[in-house]
Amino acid sequence: MKRTAVALRAAPLVALLGVMFGGCAPQGGTPQAAQAPSAPPAVAYAAHVAAGGNLPPGGTLRNPHAGDAAVAKNGALLFTAMNCDGCHGADAAGAVGPNLGDGRWRYGGEDPEVFMSIYYGRPKGMPAFGGALGADGVWTLVTYLRSLAPPPNLPTQAFPPLKLRPVGRG
Amino acid sequence: MRPIPAGLLALLLGAAAASGAPAANVTPGAGEGEWAMPARDYAGTRFSPLTQITAANATALRPVWTFSTGVLAGHEGQPLVVGDTMYVVTPWPNVLYAFDLSKDGYPLRWKYRPDVSANAIGVSCCDTVNRGAFYADGKVIYNLLDGHTVAVDAKSGRELWKTAIADVGSGETVTMAPLVVKDRVIVGASGGEFGIYGWTKGLDLNTGTVVWTGHNIGPDADMLAKPGQFKPPYDSGADLGVHSWPGETWRTGGAPVWGWVSYDPELDLVYYGTGNAGPYNAEQREGDNKWTASVLARRPADGALVWAYQFTPHDSWDYDATGAMVLADLAIGGKSVKALVHFDKNGFAYTLDRATGKLLVAEPFVKVNWAQKVDASSGRPVIVPDKQTGASKGNVKDICPCLEGGVSPASPPAYSPRTHLFYTSTNNLCMDYASARTSYLKGTPFMGINSPYSAGEGGYRGSFLAWDAATGRKVWENKEAFPNWSGALVTAGDVAFYGTLDGWFKAVDARTGKLLSKFKVGSGVVGNPMTYRGPDGKQYVAVYAGIGGDWLLLAGDVHAADPTDVRAPADYIKDLGARTSQGGIIWIFGL
Repeated sequence: MKRTAVALRAAPLVALLGVMFGGCAPQGGTPQAAQAPSAPPAVAYAAHVAAGGNLPPGGTLRNPHAGDAAVAKNGALLFTAMNCDGCHGADAAGAVGPNLGDGRWRYGGEDPEVFMSIYYGRPKGMPAFGGALGADGVWTLVTYLRSLAPPPNLPTQAFPPLKLRPVGRG
Repeated sequence: MRPIPAGLLALLLGAAAASGAPAANVTPGAGEGEWAMPARDYAGTRFSPLTQITAANATALRPVWTFSTGVLAGHEGQPLVVGDTMYVVTPWPNVLYAFDLSKDGYPLRWKYRPDVSANAIGVSCCDTVNRGAFYADGKVIYNLLDGHTVAVDAKSGRELWKTAIADVGSGETVTMAPLVVKDRVIVGASGGEFGIYGWTKGLDLNTGTVVWTGHNIGPDADMLAKPGQFKPPYDSGADLGVHSWPGETWRTGGAPVWGWVSYDPELDLVYYGTGNAGPYNAEQREGDNKWTASVLARRPADGALVWAYQFTPHDSWDYDATGAMVLADLAIGGKSVKALVHFDKNGFAYTLDRATGKLLVAEPFVKVNWAQKVDASSGRPVIVPDKQTGASKGNVKDICPCLEGGVSPASPPAYSPRTHLFYTSTNNLCMDYASARTSYLKGTPFMGINSPYSAGEGGYRGSFLAWDAATGRKVWENKEAFPNWSGALVTAGDVAFYGTLDGWFKAVDARTGKLLSKFKVGSGVVGNPMTYRGPDGKQYVAVYAGIGGDWLLLAGDVHAADPTDVRAPADYIKDLGARTSQGGIIWIFGL
């Protein structure tokens, strides 16, 4: 029933998952303790938490991998391995879920804001991945998404706050 | 089994007496001017006996009323008209409107606004659509995207009951239109892209209580397949829904129910199709994967499975079989046959014996190159080896039809007992199909596929055609520039109606396909036209405009010429963005 494109990076992702989960099947996800000192407490993936029902704590978060091209590359593999592309499309170009590479962010496009969206989920169906991935896994995805350059021609429909800025590809 | 409510019984008998229709086409709760269930009748024909609008006068059709639903999403499904009220269900948030057709301007009698979780939006694979309501026993019954069925009092708009039927956290959403048989409400869930364990449920009409749950895959006990009662025509043995899968893969095997349900009162069987097998990478689930991409026949009272036929064993192309199962008595080989006719995503139009599930006719209604034919003795497709997909096969090129189907299951056909023809939209699209291994993560997409489309041969991307299901032959075809995604309507005035993806609503001669009138309705049509007789005695035709469904990617604010905006796999249809945009409009046409 569906025509969403999904990037083909199958072989490395299995290896990547093996590293991340110690070879365990990722079904349901294993809650992991937050790994970075700046990370908030994780929630179980199975809880499928959306931000609307479970507000994340305050405080400043720091992306330990900001601008790291090698981490961004791993993040691209993780983007497929965690089925993100099933909703957000190949190269995060959007499908049922929004485009994550066009510079428009419903819930803020700063690293900590993107982290919160992935870690705790968002209310229109974005699951909470903090429990399955841990803080470092989420930062890896954040680093990948922030490495995507917005296309030159953007739709007129905008979601505040609209933040457009040149993003280096590392 | 509970007795039939007296009111319903009276209406049943009344309708049969009034229309003189064969039993299979009886419409409970509706006179000939009404449209009380998704396809108007249990047989799923979308045929109306009204005759005021004819091939001679349809050129004079003009819009008489419109209403904005306030929702911008795919407006699939169709309104209902019972008495002097029109009922309309919107896409998420699934508002139910009741319009008073007896008053000037059709003001609202009431509006029912359920609380539907926004979380379901992102868990629905293909837009937040709803395929409509069913009127029975003074209740309007429909499904909410977040996995509930509700019954609303038709007079007051008061909620009578609300039942949780599906689990959004497991990837289940509900988009299909329910079917009510006696005191059972038959429902199913979407989620073939999320590795669900597909099912159908029977609820109690009066209380909403779940009476039975029959899975579409898995062990016989879960499938309500009882020894001696379940007789698939081409298979034998116990637990076929387990043994046709490796290991435990059936537990996440899909087989969603997101299309239409029909019913034969004489055989006392409900018929519905199941969707794709999951994941899309077929090498993770070697075997037939029964009963995905199949038609199942069950007893409505207790859900007991009576027969099943699999259109696409080991589905490797996302060929859901959730399209409508239309019941008609056809003359085949000089005999009258109780037939079931189904236009499948896989490109074949099937005519089955609806008592047994045996194959009678299977012919392609669009270009098909993944199979040579359907073998008459085994009932199985003869697959072209080059077109078998899977992670080890790499990118398999040029498979027809594409995974949108020869026709979308969201676009149900119509059947006229006057012309003995079926009418259906089609897609003329092919695809490349590259699978990859994928991991099951509860509540996330379970797919593993990259499948760009391309237009099929002939310089058109869809059509509306008339089909003789007794012989498996196309009678006429109107080619359209874009894939055609509306349902069909045909009337006793011998007029057929459909809409196009670029927003034309068309009336054509049911015998020849000749265009009689057309009107640009403001947004692409993915809904199903219906007709009724208003309180003023005149015949009207209603349809939704509101592009969406699988086209949601293209229906928004896209820049038609910008490849970064209209992305693969939609780049074959960049020109659509120049012709339509999102909408949510109810249109009524009259003479």
